[in-house]
Amino acid sequence: MAQALLEQIINGTMMGSIYMLVALGMVLIYGVMHVLNFAHGVLFMVGGYVCHFFFTQVLDSYLLAILGSMAVLSVIGLALERGVFRRLRDNLRMQVIASLGLILVIQNGVIAIWGPNALQMRITTTDIRVPIGELSFTLQHFLIIGTVGVTVTAIWLFLTRTRIGTALRATSQNAEAAQVVGIDANRMYVASFLIGCALAALGGALLGPLFLIFPTMGDLPLLKGLAAIIIGGMGSIPGAIIGGLGIGIVEAVSTLYIPTDFRDTVVFAALIAVLLLRPQGLFGVRVRGEA
Amino acid sequence: MTAMTALTAMTAPRAGRLAIAIVALLALAAPFLLADQPYFLHVLILTMTFAIPAIGLNLLLGYTGLVSLGHMGFAGVGAYTTALLMMDHGWSAVPAMAAGAAAAGVLGVLVGIPCLRLRSHFFIIVTLAVGMILFALFNNLDGITGGAEGLPGVPRPGPLDLGFMVIDFRRLGGFYWFALVVTLFALLVQYLIVRSDFGRSLAAIRQDEILAAARGVNVFAHKLAIFGISTALAGLGGALKVMFLRVAAPLSFELLESINLVLLTIVGGAGYLAGPIIGALVYVAIPEILRFADAWRLVLFGVILVAMTLFAPRGLSGMIEAGWRRLRRGPAVTGEEAADGRPA
Amino acid sequence: MAALLEIRDISKAFGGIQALDGVDVAIDAPGIYGLIGPNGAGKTTLFDVVCGRQVADRGEVRAEGRAVGRLSPDRLARLGFARTFQECRVFPDETCLDNVLFGAQDKRLGVEWRQLLTRGMGARSARRDEAMRLLTLVRLDTYADRPAAALSYGQRRLLEIVSTLIARPRFLLLDEPASGINPTLLNVLHDFLLKMYEERPIVFLVVEHNMPFIMSLASHIVVMHQGRVLTTGSPADIQRDPAVIDAYLG
Repeated sequence: MAQALLEQIINGTMMGSIYMLVALGMVLIYGVMHVLNFAHGVLFMVGGYVCHFFFTQVLDSYLLAILGSMAVLSVIGLALERGVFRRLRDNLRMQVIASLGLILVIQNGVIAIWGPNALQMRITTTDIRVPIGELSFTLQHFLIIGTVGVTVTAIWLFLTRTRIGTALRATSQNAEAAQVVGIDANRMYVASFLIGCALAALGGALLGPLFLIFPTMGDLPLLKGLAAIIIGGMGSIPGAIIGGLGIGIVEAVSTLYIPTDFRDTVVFAALIAVLLLRPQGLFGVRVRGEA
Repeated sequence: MTAMTALTAMTAPRAGRLAIAIVALLALAAPFLLADQPYFLHVLILTMTFAIPAIGLNLLLGYTGLVSLGHMGFAGVGAYTTALLMMDHGWSAVPAMAAGAAAAGVLGVLVGIPCLRLRSHFFIIVTLAVGMILFALFNNLDGITGGAEGLPGVPRPGPLDLGFMVIDFRRLGGFYWFALVVTLFALLVQYLIVRSDFGRSLAAIRQDEILAAARGVNVFAHKLAIFGISTALAGLGGALKVMFLRVAAPLSFELLESINLVLLTIVGGAGYLAGPIIGALVYVAIPEILRFADAWRLVLFGVILVAMTLFAPRGLSGMIEAGWRRLRRGPAVTGEEAADGRPA
Repeated sequence: MAALLEIRDISKAFGGIQALDGVDVAIDAPGIYGLIGPNGAGKTTLFDVVCGRQVADRGEVRAEGRAVGRLSPDRLARLGFARTFQECRVFPDETCLDNVLFGAQDKRLGVEWRQLLTRGMGARSARRDEAMRLLTLVRLDTYADRPAAALSYGQRRLLEIVSTLIARPRFLLLDEPASGINPTLLNVLHDFLLKMYEERPIVFLVVEHNMPFIMSLASHIVVMHQGRVLTTGSPADIQRDPAVIDAYLG
């Protein structure tokens, strides 16, 4: 039993790290722009495809392919911010609809280009096994956990130690006050979308080699990311990080007790339970005027 | 100018009524007109099974301004309730459908009580989560819902003897009339609500929640009431769908279907009485019109949708309305022109 | 007899900022009360507390002896509290007439449903004449069928005020009604408010920065400064009060 538990905790930490990247990107965009981007999952998926493309066609280096994928997705994010979301500010309904439309465009665009079947990406880290006691995991598991750990730490330092990062956090906490002290809101929007999309790409590029690359690979990370930012308290950056990790571990461990078919249901039931008991989320603060 | 306005005021509704009458007559006579075109009847019935939940969603999205991304989950609750009552308990079609709609509506109220007080962002995500949970239950509670296979053999209503003719609902033409009556009922509910004081309060909530409350609208109670009605209509549509397809299967009620329902409502024109019908018609007909590679067709659909959010947020109904106005009295008066024309 | 409106020891803080710090105002009789003070004095916050949009940290509000400080905005509206907003709020998609008629509508859910089922339009058409009369008084009658979004800012302010008055409130709270209104319409507004007060003398509580406007309109002035009531008195007294002048200049 202890073995199985350890196995699920490590699996959960790995998936949780992926959810963390998605949730962190979404919470940055939500906090700064108040945009709930349901297309974040397909951007994650495109990240996997672009990484695959660079790796097999151009670079033959996993690291460079990941960086290339992040760069491409940043550009896509920039275009979406400028072309769509900035124009729909203050119109929640249309933002949601537009992001659903983008899912249609991007998901089916990928199917049209790469076909509906899953792509495989052979890299050495998925073949190397790391034994822990009687268990063994692929090296990719630990590569994911390590990379995400470093990235999240770097983002946190960026947000707390640099000028633009502090400005981002300030905007996300109080947009009006940020404007009063002279922070350029448009620059903040660009920054949040750039970082958010790059993180999504990183997630797709890290998970792709392990679980294949396919058109719906971003759907569950999107839903878990959404759950994470709510459970963590909408707009709370540490909440999203802890929420993502927590969801990964909880859903993995739950498979020991509950049929796997209900794994996702457990997460969403937990989400609703949190909303009932603590509507502001676990790490959120109740803000004035919010009903 | 006044004579002109009076003229349009008198003729516009008359022309509208005439158009409605023609459409209604055509709709009623369709089984005769399309007697040798069963495929078209099939498409029309399918359209209605999408239009009814879309009417429910339109009341929410178009009139009240709430987004629900799990509406087909509620449709599924209505569908499975109706199917089980008919198959296992021998209920006849109409009471079973009423019970199915009621079950979906009650579930909607139960979900709404804790969640409608949340900020709208939270509410959207909760509806998504509820839709997913419901799908997981349909798909996995094999003992009740038949799991992924679903419940095959959902019966259609028994024959109706009108004296001068007997309508057999098991045949396509007969079932078409049944579906038409259910759709008209949903349209009537929508019309009554939109044209009432209740509907005016909902429109107030959509435009400015804070102002609506300051004017005396109990925002939460109104949202809860309309969410219950909306989910009940979704349940009614779900019940009709499984009767038509003769099987209650989870894939009809998955997340993607809920999202498509939102999209078709927007394309048809949220906030217009005819929006859900137009949207459902386009949604069902588009695969026929655009007969090229599947994926690119959906890409195009998505592009049109994003463009609509940016440039035509009122959907096809809004475009038709604007075009109609332009035809009648030249370019419509815009807000700016009106403001320019104000007395100093 | 209990005061018509009694605001007792109200305090409200946002984060570290004390917006209201023990405000006491007692209104014993109907009248037009002006509420003035420099920016940040807490006037709008006081409105928000009285109308239920904010709950005070301390203190209570009583209307005719009844504690109303914890009631929701819609509940208070149905009890006869009507307000306008500093940023001016109307329903942009509705016509001017519909905006006004909505003000008169009984918004209790039960009443609305009875109307839906019986298709009763009586109350609505009965209010039509009154709505048109008020719109005419503020020179908006020719815009009755235009959507509110098509109005100028000043016209929207007038529409907002008409929409609150048609509900026959017992307490009318106007947040800077004169701001953004051109001089011609300002006179219209001034005369309109006086006429409305003469027709139905109730409590008007008016936050205003336009001094000539409020001094000629109001019978009493309450001066707020830094979350407290600085002084109260007639317009003439207030204009001579050195403490008030200090507050505005300092």
